[in-house]
Amino acid sequence: MKIGFLGLGIMGRAMALNLIKGGHTVTVWARRAESMQPLLAAGALAAASPAEVAGQVELVISMVADAPDVAEVMRGVAQGATAGLVAVDMSTIAPAAARRIGADLAAAGVDFLDAPVSGGEVGAIAATLSIMVGGSAAAFAQAKPAFECMGKNIVHVGESGAGQVTKAANQIVTGMGVLAVAEAFAFASKNGVDRSKVREALLGGFAASKILENHGQRMLERNFTPGFKSWMHEKDLNIVMQTAHELGLCLPGSAATAQMFNAMVGGGQGEEDSIAVLKLLERLSGQA
Amino acid sequence: MKLGLKVGFIGLGVMGRPMALHLAQAGYELFVWARRPESIGDLPATICATPAELGRCCEVVFTVVTSSADVENVALGQAGLIEGMAAGKVLVDCSTIAPEAARQIAAKLSEKGIHFLDAPLSGGGQGAIDATLAIMVGGDAVVLERVRPLLNCLGQRIVHIGPNGAGQVAKACNQMIMVAAIQAVAEALRLAAASGVECGKVRQALAGGSAASRVLEVMGERMVKRDFSAGIEARLHHKDFGLVLAAAREIGVPLPLTAAVAQQLNALMGQGWGRDDTSSLLRVLESA
Repeated sequence: MKIGFLGLGIMGRAMALNLIKGGHTVTVWARRAESMQPLLAAGALAAASPAEVAGQVELVISMVADAPDVAEVMRGVAQGATAGLVAVDMSTIAPAAARRIGADLAAAGVDFLDAPVSGGEVGAIAATLSIMVGGSAAAFAQAKPAFECMGKNIVHVGESGAGQVTKAANQIVTGMGVLAVAEAFAFASKNGVDRSKVREALLGGFAASKILENHGQRMLERNFTPGFKSWMHEKDLNIVMQTAHELGLCLPGSAATAQMFNAMVGGGQGEEDSIAVLKLLERLSGQA
Repeated sequence: MKLGLKVGFIGLGVMGRPMALHLAQAGYELFVWARRPESIGDLPATICATPAELGRCCEVVFTVVTSSADVENVALGQAGLIEGMAAGKVLVDCSTIAPEAARQIAAKLSEKGIHFLDAPLSGGGQGAIDATLAIMVGGDAVVLERVRPLLNCLGQRIVHIGPNGAGQVAKACNQMIMVAAIQAVAEALRLAAASGVECGKVRQALAGGSAASRVLEVMGERMVKRDFSAGIEARLHHKDFGLVLAAAREIGVPLPLTAAVAQQLNALMGQGWGRDDTSSLLRVLESA
């Protein structure tokens, strides 16, 4: 299939490379031309704008930072699109923003999927991402071979926006999960108990989770290198809290967690992994 | 400023209407514009067709509307005040909006030499009727002194906080303290009722001690009487809390209690009590 890829950051680069490995013809565009180099070296074609990409492909994928970036590249896609084009955004943005962008593209005759991912850089490189998709069944069917080159757990959740709702739900669970593990560790230490033993014991019971296992291990090692940066988790929790505000939905745990991440970003820890919330907890109780 | 001066007024709601009347009764010549002309009623005022026309007629213009977008529309939109007001004239915005929005509107108006003061209010509908409002002002101190005689017709405590936006920051602080206090009173009365103790007695006793406050007095009484008809519509506090948390996020300041109270307000909205009084936070607790 002829596939276009817009946005070649840490995630986008790995995902586009996997599309090439899967035998697809990939045309790329990125705001910074130098970030296109590794893809061109692997056999990708270059284009000068999102509109130019859209004119050459059957499927176009964006992987950028935030809703305004998605809206901007998709305006270009709408200008360059030919009949039957499917556009897919795999960035994490607000469900309402995804629905708006989908409606704008529909007006230009382009079918749109919101398809955010979970699994981080490791998952992007290993092609083991979880992909949660909102949009029409026909568009999903057309994009599915591309998704299968990039991820493993691919779920068509529902209508436009449903993918982003799912991703937001994912960030609620992971955000509170990281904070829960960090609080359990702070609790153990303040009681004079060895955290690593606590982790080991808990992994055998109902508190066992990927977060306790992987993030917990990195907390023990005090390895705060991202991974997933705090400011990005803060951004995602802000999407959750904005949406809850608009809906009149009470999310007390998410709200408390979002304030912890807010404090991390304000305290200059935004570039560290979100597990650095452990250090914030330790500071707050004088454990540092 | 001398009596007989032409003063414009936009926003004739619960707050704006009594304020406009005070200015007219003090001897200023009143001009009004309203989106819904029927809201003007029997106010002794000259009716203008657009904000621009009102701006052409008046030396000083007051706005008391709901949201940042409302102020932007009236001030900067099509046929907005900016089209009619001449250099040296003053716009006093008494709405509660985001500090950043106030700064941006001030900057746009200053390009034409129009002065802007952000002058949000505290004291509610009763304070507006009694002309006992607290007014917190951001902007040029010299401009404030020019319009102070007008503000003296509306309120008793008029404080210059700092440059543009500072008035809105002060108002945000006011809302945080006030609504958190409403939540505290609601929780105390909920505990009392659930313990089989008479709420009215508890409120009466507390009003003489360290927990005494205006919120306990006014909102506490509403809760005891179960009179949830608005004073201040809770949806406005809900809106304000969205602004506060967004501003805190911009600068990376954690506000854990404000975030928790915001979730109770979300629940209140979700239950459909947005047009009732904020003392409805008691009903949120009762529904748990």
